Amino acid sequence: MNNEQKLFQAVADVFQVDAAVVKESSSPDTIPKWDSLGIVHLVTELEQAFGVEFDILEIADFRNVAIIKSILAEKGVRF
Amino acid sequence: MIYGDLPANWPEPVKQQVAAAAGSGRIAAIRNAMAAVEALPPESRGKPFKLGIVRTFTLEAQLEALKLALAVIPSAASIALGELENIEQVLLDQASPVMAARPDAVLALWRLEDLLPDLVYAPHTLTADARAQAVSGVSERITRLCEDYRREGPAPLFIATLPAPAQRADELSDLHQPHGWHDAVLRINRTILAQAAQPGRIYAFDFADWAAAFGPAAFDQKMDLYARQPIAAAALMSFASAIACSLRPLLVPAAKVLAVDLDNLLWGGVVGEDGIPNLKIGHDYPGNVYRRIQQTLLNLKRRGVLLALLSKNNHQDVVDAFAALPDMLLSLADFAAVRINWRPKHENLREVAQELNLGLDSFVFADDQAFEREQMAFELPAVKVLPLSEDPLQILNALTHCTNFDALRVSAEDLARADDYAAQARRQELASASPERFLESLQLKAAIGRVSEATLPRAVQMLAKTNQFNVTTRRHGEAELRRLCADAANVLLTLALRDKLSDQGIVGLAIGVRGERPQELRVDSFLLSCRALGRGAEQVLWASLVAKATALGYQSLSAEYLQTGKNQQVADLFDRLGMERIASSADHTTYQMRVPGQVTSPAWVHVIDETGR
Repeated sequence: MNNEQKLFQAVADVFQVDAAVVKESSSPDTIPKWDSLGIVHLVTELEQAFGVEFDILEIADFRNVAIIKSILAEKGVRF
Repeated sequence: MIYGDLPANWPEPVKQQVAAAAGSGRIAAIRNAMAAVEALPPESRGKPFKLGIVRTFTLEAQLEALKLALAVIPSAASIALGELENIEQVLLDQASPVMAARPDAVLALWRLEDLLPDLVYAPHTLTADARAQAVSGVSERITRLCEDYRREGPAPLFIATLPAPAQRADELSDLHQPHGWHDAVLRINRTILAQAAQPGRIYAFDFADWAAAFGPAAFDQKMDLYARQPIAAAALMSFASAIACSLRPLLVPAAKVLAVDLDNLLWGGVVGEDGIPNLKIGHDYPGNVYRRIQQTLLNLKRRGVLLALLSKNNHQDVVDAFAALPDMLLSLADFAAVRINWRPKHENLREVAQELNLGLDSFVFADDQAFEREQMAFELPAVKVLPLSEDPLQILNALTHCTNFDALRVSAEDLARADDYAAQARRQELASASPERFLESLQLKAAIGRVSEATLPRAVQMLAKTNQFNVTTRRHGEAELRRLCADAANVLLTLALRDKLSDQGIVGLAIGVRGERPQELRVDSFLLSCRALGRGAEQVLWASLVAKATALGYQSLSAEYLQTGKNQQVADLFDRLGMERIASSADHTTYQMRVPGQVTSPAWVHVIDETGR
């Protein structure tokens, strides 16, 4: 599994959707369970999956999968 | 969560998935493992258990971990979570969603950060007097909550002790000023423990101890600030297991007997090979480790756990060693049963279970030899085999931290039990010497009392734990018993037994409730502890029940026998007591009799009626 698949899988696991429907454009508008509580889940899952830590400002910016991907890339995760 | 602690009857793949998920601490993995557990057949899942939670911080995203920790006890657990804050409103309102879910237990989780944020984050904005007052306010709040809950609350309430705040202001100077947060934590926790120490339904969950043991990584400052979710992801499974450990005694009965090996467990060395002078037991290493192990066993015994000794040795060698070694804490008389022979240990254990009149699932087995552990687990899967090694320090710690004997409260009966079983062994010797005069020689006295506030906890304990001499096996809780006691038409009697050898305390319980037909008393429950069998106690209890029914103007008694896997010995109890069979199916028999009817009370028991008290 490459890192993009790993990211999509984490999003799918946390929000309980099929990994096939997760795209870079996925956001609270397209995924119903993507609410503030869901983000708490997602932060924990991504920190554990990629061995990184997000700061509070970064978490506040979790608005779609593409942004999360770019934040991960800044932390040295290769896509 | 150790793989070996998972329910033995779960399929391997599920056990592996659960252990891996718990080890990873990842929420998605835990959720998937929980789904696998929920797909198991109901008989593998344990009893349904609803936990209500009131709290001052976010737990929504972490409930799956708590469910998993409860599921492996095992229990079919579900959780009702109250809204943030509003502890009293939720707990004291029977219509609140948490209480309306009819929880089997409720947990109150809070932190000093949430109760007194200024004291933690801005201590210098408050004078010492204001800080003292704020803490008194919280203590009074907790006391009032507990008092109200004792009256209204239907389920056991577990109150979390407060951990030291995770983000500490002025750690050093706070220690040296009046009424700082150090002092606040101590004072509030003392209030909580004082409430938990009173008899009844309020208990403590030692959140403070968990947090201190886990260390600074227990809390996640970022998630606390972001979502008020302070429990760190890496600490979550440990936190959930700590809660499950506290609730465990509500779900599974405590084990009653610790069966132990001797060589290289109670002393260092093998008596038959090394000889008595070379055995290691004493005040220096490694003899002091074995002495500590013996101390651990003695502590268990004083709490009411029975000890059994299973050793492959020549009997005389062991007797000589116990007599000759000066630094032994245990004597052979501390064991309720001793088997020193060369037979397989499972055969000895099965015999001990029969002798003590206890089921195999009441036994925990400790042995330093892997072969013995494996054979026991294979031959008697109901016996809990402790995962030990040959390292005495590991054995000491495994015995010290063994949770199978955990009880929320130790009753006076528990404390008396171990000595009572030793007396039981002497009773059996007496009985085999002259069976006909034996019962008279015991000078049995039976005291009949009404179930009262003082005896209610013991009555609940008996209902929860008695499996064999129990005609209906109804597990009423405190609230239900209180309700039954409140109706003067019901008859709830306890029987306490003593003889010249020991005082057994309350060992019998009978509950008669107003029946469906007029002037009929229905026998709801009738049970005796297995320590009280064979002495006519059931006839005494029955005669008292019939006498009370007569005095209350009842004209008939109805009763039933509900068969479980364990209560075969009372299948014909009501026949023996002189009732008439009305209807009978494979697992259910109903009886009736007119009152006052023919009852006989055994001549060798002196009955003391204390129901007037």
